[in-house]
Amino acid sequence: MTAQDDIACRPPVEPADDGAIRKRLAASLVAIVGCGGLGSNVAAMLVRAGVGSLILIDYDAVEESNLNRQMFFRDQIGVAKVEALGETLRRIAPGVNLALVHKCMTPENLLATVGDADVVVEAADHAEVKAMVANVVCSHPTGMVLVAASGIAGIDSANDIATHRVATNFYVVGDCRSDVRAGLPLLASRVMLAAAHQAHATIRILLGHMDP
Amino acid sequence: MHIEVALFAHLSEFQPDGRAGRGARPFDVAEGTTIGDIIEMLALPDEPRVLFVNNKHATEQTVLAQGDRLAIFPPVAGG
Repeated sequence: MTAQDDIACRPPVEPADDGAIRKRLAASLVAIVGCGGLGSNVAAMLVRAGVGSLILIDYDAVEESNLNRQMFFRDQIGVAKVEALGETLRRIAPGVNLALVHKCMTPENLLATVGDADVVVEAADHAEVKAMVANVVCSHPTGMVLVAASGIAGIDSANDIATHRVATNFYVVGDCRSDVRAGLPLLASRVMLAAAHQAHATIRILLGHMDP
Repeated sequence: MHIEVALFAHLSEFQPDGRAGRGARPFDVAEGTTIGDIIEMLALPDEPRVLFVNNKHATEQTVLAQGDRLAIFPPVAGG
């Protein structure tokens, strides 16, 4: 499967057809832009759910301050996040296909990096990068689907985190307001909740269920 | 001409009818108006944003047409 055959046109898998669900997910490719609090947890959930192939993209290395919410361990401090996450994912699912991309995404290299993905997950930190990823992916002529996040910081209610379909191929997870630039902390409970929303929205889209 | 504007997140304070809140609002603009013109008319803050017209990605240079639905989404930081 590739984005070139327009994921929105695929027939939905029957909700109770476990075999068809497993088969579709195993044949799917998801690109994750950013492997921090959101991306590392999304990746772990997608692999546990049986998604067969992931492109993991991040330029950073694991730091001690990441361990409060990200899918990393103390003995991985200093290791490139894509390498550390790849190691963990292979412990969960030895057969998973991983492409590890240890570099910073730009408008020039993003499409070439995620080009064949069925769904792209935006899991970046900065608003500028989030907008760049959305503007590049959503303008892709084949209708590539983006599952983004916006508004995951702070201590507001977990029930305010939701999945929104803002446009045909653009989904946003979060409360759309809680900004780390306002000094709000990133807590594991809210970040991992948003990551679970992103992972589940991705799974539904892969299975042809396009409503959020 | 008549269009509809949907402002997401904190941009809902800049609604064309002056009443803050969620939901798309009608907006009458001149023929040939671009999204960039709308951003200027509504005095939206200069910040990262993603633009859609009728559910398809657009740019500030996109010229709007009668009946279009413009959506403006401003992502906030945290990941």
